Amino acid sequence: MRLEKCWFCSSTVYPGHGIQFVRNDAKIFRFCRSKCHKNFKMKRNPRKVKWTKAYRRLHGKDMTQDSTFEFERKRNRPERYDRNLAENTLKAIKKIDKVRVEREARHHAKRMKGKRAKEQREAAKELEQSIHMVKAPAALQQEPSLTLPKIKVKVSQQQLEENRMEE
Amino acid sequence: MAWTSASKLFFVGRSLLNGLSNHGLGLWRTSHEITCSSLLSQQQRTFIQMRTNLKVVDNSGAKRIMCIQALKGKKGARLGDTIVASVKESQPGGKVKKGDVVYAVVVRAAMPRGRCDGSEVKFDDNAAVLVNKQGEPIGTRVFGPVPHELRKKKHVKILSLAEHIA
Repeated sequence: MRLEKCWFCSSTVYPGHGIQFVRNDAKIFRFCRSKCHKNFKMKRNPRKVKWTKAYRRLHGKDMTQDSTFEFERKRNRPERYDRNLAENTLKAIKKIDKVRVEREARHHAKRMKGKRAKEQREAAKELEQSIHMVKAPAALQQEPSLTLPKIKVKVSQQQLEENRMEE
Repeated sequence: MAWTSASKLFFVGRSLLNGLSNHGLGLWRTSHEITCSSLLSQQQRTFIQMRTNLKVVDNSGAKRIMCIQALKGKKGARLGDTIVASVKESQPGGKVKKGDVVYAVVVRAAMPRGRCDGSEVKFDDNAAVLVNKQGEPIGTRVFGPVPHELRKKKHVKILSLAEHIA
């Protein structure tokens, strides 16, 4: 039994699933489900299709190089069955998965860093520039102290809504 | 759902060649398919039956054969079955000539064949190897990939001549 990788989305194909397509140049394409198979028939390039692992790795959304990937390399030499070895391997798989998930979370956090600060800055800028859309300038000048801090909460919501409506 | 298929067909049809086989969507055999068949051929791949043309992938001299009879199976032959065929096109100096009636083993079929582990295999085209009545190949070489379903059907000689076993 062997767990293969889907050619299109790079997810694992478990036994009993999927379709194998053998091209005349003897290249074998394995697909995990008909979604990947149909995309392949449409001649789509997985590197351009957003939800595939190929795209994500190419565009730096997911980790590419990590020592945990070394454990999953394809081995062609069959190992003699050894109960201890199998037990240890299973334990190791669990641990390696945990480590990999943690590292991926860290990679994601690093990627998303600075998002909140950026959003705040953009909101403040919108506030300055487009406040005339919310309240008339005359009214603002009458009560300058009350407007900004009071409306700050409301405006950011309304601004965001307006932005969404504008878009 | 029909309009999505039509828009998809128009969008995609330009880039899609006719040679690329397409399986599935047999349910939507509506007028859409007939009008858009030039752009996108959504064929339901079926058995190898009478009048099916197969490519010959050995060096026995024939190039194309047409199936006359599938020896096993009511609906037709599949991957790994033997058929009776008539040679339609042959190379000038080969062992078989045009018009000969021969036996052949199907080594590649576009119709998906279920494997015992539950997955399916399919190939790009329909191809066969000419064989004599005892099941031994007439030619001495086999080109292209062959499936290992042949081992179960006892066509070991063909497997040994093959350059790649899928």
